[in-house]
Amino acid sequence: MKTHRWFTPYLLAAPAVIWVLVFSVWPFVNTLVLSFTNARPLRAPEFVGWANYARMFGNDQFLNAIVTSVVYMLICVPFLTILPLLLALLVSKKLPGIGFFRTTFYFPVLASVVVVAIIWGWLFESQGVISQAARMLGLVDGPTDWMVQRWPVIAIAASLTIWKGLGYYMVVYLAALGSVDKELYEAAALDGAGAFKRFLHITIPGVRGAMLLIMALIVAAALRVFSELHVLTNGTGGPGGYAQSLVMLIKTTGQGFQGRLGMASAMSVALFILTIGPLLLVGWLNMGDSIKQFFGSRRKKKVIA
Amino acid sequence: MSKKLLVALFSAASITALAACTGAPATPQTTAAPASETSAASTDTSSAAATTDATTEPATESPAELSGEITYQTWALKGDKFTPYFEKLTADFMAEHPGVTINWVDQPPEGYEEKLLQQVNSNDLPDVINISGTGQALLFAEQGFLMNLDEAAPGLLDAYIQGPADQCTFDGGRYCLPWYQGTDLTYWNMAELEKAGVTDASTLPTTNDELLDFAIKVAQDSDGAVKVLPEAPRLGTLSNAGIPLANEDETEWIFNTPEAVALLNKYKEAYDAGALPPEALAGDWQGHQAMFKQGKVAYAPGPVGFAGELQADAPTLVENVQVAPRIGIPASWGQAIVVSGKSENPELALAFADYLTNNANQIAFVELAQGWFPGTVEANGNPESFTSVIEDPLTKSALDIASTTIKDAQTEYPTISTDEGDTFFKQQVALVLQGSLSAEEALQKSQDHLNELLNS
Repeated sequence: MKTHRWFTPYLLAAPAVIWVLVFSVWPFVNTLVLSFTNARPLRAPEFVGWANYARMFGNDQFLNAIVTSVVYMLICVPFLTILPLLLALLVSKKLPGIGFFRTTFYFPVLASVVVVAIIWGWLFESQGVISQAARMLGLVDGPTDWMVQRWPVIAIAASLTIWKGLGYYMVVYLAALGSVDKELYEAAALDGAGAFKRFLHITIPGVRGAMLLIMALIVAAALRVFSELHVLTNGTGGPGGYAQSLVMLIKTTGQGFQGRLGMASAMSVALFILTIGPLLLVGWLNMGDSIKQFFGSRRKKKVIA
Repeated sequence: MSKKLLVALFSAASITALAACTGAPATPQTTAAPASETSAASTDTSSAAATTDATTEPATESPAELSGEITYQTWALKGDKFTPYFEKLTADFMAEHPGVTINWVDQPPEGYEEKLLQQVNSNDLPDVINISGTGQALLFAEQGFLMNLDEAAPGLLDAYIQGPADQCTFDGGRYCLPWYQGTDLTYWNMAELEKAGVTDASTLPTTNDELLDFAIKVAQDSDGAVKVLPEAPRLGTLSNAGIPLANEDETEWIFNTPEAVALLNKYKEAYDAGALPPEALAGDWQGHQAMFKQGKVAYAPGPVGFAGELQADAPTLVENVQVAPRIGIPASWGQAIVVSGKSENPELALAFADYLTNNANQIAFVELAQGWFPGTVEANGNPESFTSVIEDPLTKSALDIASTTIKDAQTEYPTISTDEGDTFFKQQVALVLQGSLSAEEALQKSQDHLNELLNS
């Protein structure tokens, strides 16, 4: 007896397909379409070709925002890739009370980024605790202006991101470390490998998958940084807008009744392309061997043919 | 065949969905329908009767003439303080007009503009709407989403203060019923100033030039310990100093003038002297008020309500706070009530909007929202009608001063201004104060950028 009709598989797949179309494909296509228009709220959009893109690349604000976002990523990726691994190694030991430290290191992940950024702002402001401490130690002469200088404010924001992210990535590494064969360490130790060599040749290859995943996640998150810089610069991006991230600029450009949705969409497309590049690189690092093998076998087949 | 049908249906759905999200508003269903003569007459009646008690006063003519259901929307007013007021007002109106149903919705403070846009795009705009700022109202009016009040109810706006009503003019028609209004004042922290040897309040500056000289002197006398100025110049700082921001028909930004250059250079001098904290370079309105409450600056412009905030947030500061008229041109801002041009029940919507904003109800509202002014001519002619309930001496003193200065108050920003433009200006000015850009360059760059935004 026939239990299903021809459309049953389509029907079963429909919810997932519709979900992807409505919440992923449609917004993306819509953004792409809008980027070629002069769309603004309450006004019918007109097609303007590449005008938004031409104007965008001639705009200092946009170029500054790209530099800020890329620098942010370059700071966050190494710190958030290595430090959580070291932290995970530290708390992976079976010691009495180690659970307390694991939990404590995870606490910052639970805190609201906005609240933490406000506190960070108090700490680093001209009369803040850090500024006062630096003055007491004779490191600075008077009130500091770190919060209105481009690189210091980016560094302060990145330190917040790193502090908040450590615990999360530590947990990912802890899970990965659990799958590394303990016998490898014993064998290496018997062969005379020191702690650093064991870390380099056993631990890192053992957590390579997790490490590449973490790098990919950090790249995507750091390029889209918003809350930290927005709160620390009061939404202004600091003097000259130099500490403005790309997402902050997109928000400023597209928000409100006078928002330039077309231009904001073009910037969003640029952000997408900017994010895809490093992600492809991470993917290449992860799958490089398989890809080389795949192309290698194709070449062999051609030669044989 | 069935497969083709499915594909066709899916394609149609996709195309519809894509078309619905191009940023354009939903096609208006109908044009703005003027209210009938009856409702116009009824609104006149309600205006005339506005001096009576808000709970008993009939806002419209005969209960039998109104029927149906409408929704009105306020912004950030739901809470212990105002909910009973709106519930009572709504219930009173419905009691006076049996068969009428009034629904009240309140939107949260964040993202109100986006909410309104969403309502327009989904053709779901409430019948009576609280609008913040005339810029929003004019944009809606331009697109035909609001009721032209001069056309729908001639004479209705005579009962309201004319400044805000006139600002809300598009194509010869006016669209806003002025609701609660505000202006700003000057707050001084005398305890902070005393550290720099300033003890006599009568010697405090009253003009912008005096303010900047005073700030520099205080910083020098206190070796930078006492900072007077809480914020770097924004576009509103220029208009406060009497520098026009845009031409009369608001088609061009024109603030790059020698006066503006001189003002920015003076601020640069003040910053170098230590008269502004570094945070002022990336500050905003709330930021500089917070700095005043924390005793980090000795001066702050602020609304009347700021006196009440000081009482609540910084009670130890209050006894040393001196209130004075705003230095420069006082700013005015306010809320308005508009009627949707798409309302299915325009008579009822107009009658309720009038009731909500009539003299008695506005007085009852500002008695709760202390520090604000009603939008009616009658109440503003007799400030005692809404100030008599105020007990806090600082708020009372602030309101007394504001009731005289609000007549000269002007909006700081033209309707063409945007957050994006003001942020850009502040970014350039911060560079001027830091010494990496000249005032002339910053003004020219900002003016060019804002004009580009205007014409793009």
